[in-house]
Amino acid sequence: MESPLHHFEVHNVITIPPIAGLDISINNAVVAMWVGLAIVAGSFLLAVSRGISPIPGKLQSILEISLEFIRSMVYEFIGEEEGKRYVPFIASLFLFILACNLIGLIPGSYTITSQLAVTAAFAVGIFFMTLVIGFGKHGMHFLGILVPPGVPKIMIPLMVPIEIISMLARPISLAVRLFANMTAGHTVLAVLFGLAMTGPLWLGWLPFGFTIVINGLEIAIAFIQAYIFTTLTCVYIGDVIKLH
Amino acid sequence: MQIAFRLGTELTVATFIGAILGYGVDRFFGVRPWGLALGVILGGAAGSLNVYRAAMSLTIEDENTEDDNNF
Repeated sequence: MESPLHHFEVHNVITIPPIAGLDISINNAVVAMWVGLAIVAGSFLLAVSRGISPIPGKLQSILEISLEFIRSMVYEFIGEEEGKRYVPFIASLFLFILACNLIGLIPGSYTITSQLAVTAAFAVGIFFMTLVIGFGKHGMHFLGILVPPGVPKIMIPLMVPIEIISMLARPISLAVRLFANMTAGHTVLAVLFGLAMTGPLWLGWLPFGFTIVINGLEIAIAFIQAYIFTTLTCVYIGDVIKLH
Repeated sequence: MQIAFRLGTELTVATFIGAILGYGVDRFFGVRPWGLALGVILGGAAGSLNVYRAAMSLTIEDENTEDDNNF
């Protein structure tokens, strides 16, 4: 029987010989990412190429509602003046993660967000982005983020290491949360489906029914995790802009 | 459930980061085992601080939504 973790394995679809020691073969993870990108970009291109009408059609309404939802989220956590610049970034992040999460739920496809390398790349990129924004906006005063307001002077040598650790923990908890949620959900699905397939028919319908229920739950988790990831990104950007 | 999971990762990850930094300090300065011990404690403190902040922001959000409902 196949291992429940089998569907997380990466295998090459098109093998390209390594160039300068760099393996650039096209594997199933890359294909899944391209599909996610194509769905997000394609739906927006389609909506725009049809012409934006004052009375939105089905596709345009969905896209407008999702963008307005993201914009209100960004304004809430970063502020309206500063937040405007980050709406496109946050919107692409949210829609791409959501598309990848939902693609992963189609049986036989690949969940790209269940790879720690992918979520860690997002999180580390966001971490360095917040550092660049913070130093660009506040200069050397940005280091004041390491000292919370209202701390007595004696406590400062203790608070600075604590604040450094909590800063470093942010990108890692961001990456691990998305990765762990997606991996756990899909492993549960695989185990239940394995039970359904190996058991006799009079028993197998029970775990099979559960896979359907949990698939519904996973759709909710796909939305929630995309939302949490982008909300926390907004919170982190807002923190370095407001500096307490 | 999702929020509880978020708080859990916050605490765990911060403690791990503290432990790893402490271990690194040990390796660099040869003060084993003091760096690791101090690192774990500081990491736990940082984790608690993160959890506290997250919880506080959640309660503030709740209060705000309640206010919105009242109006």
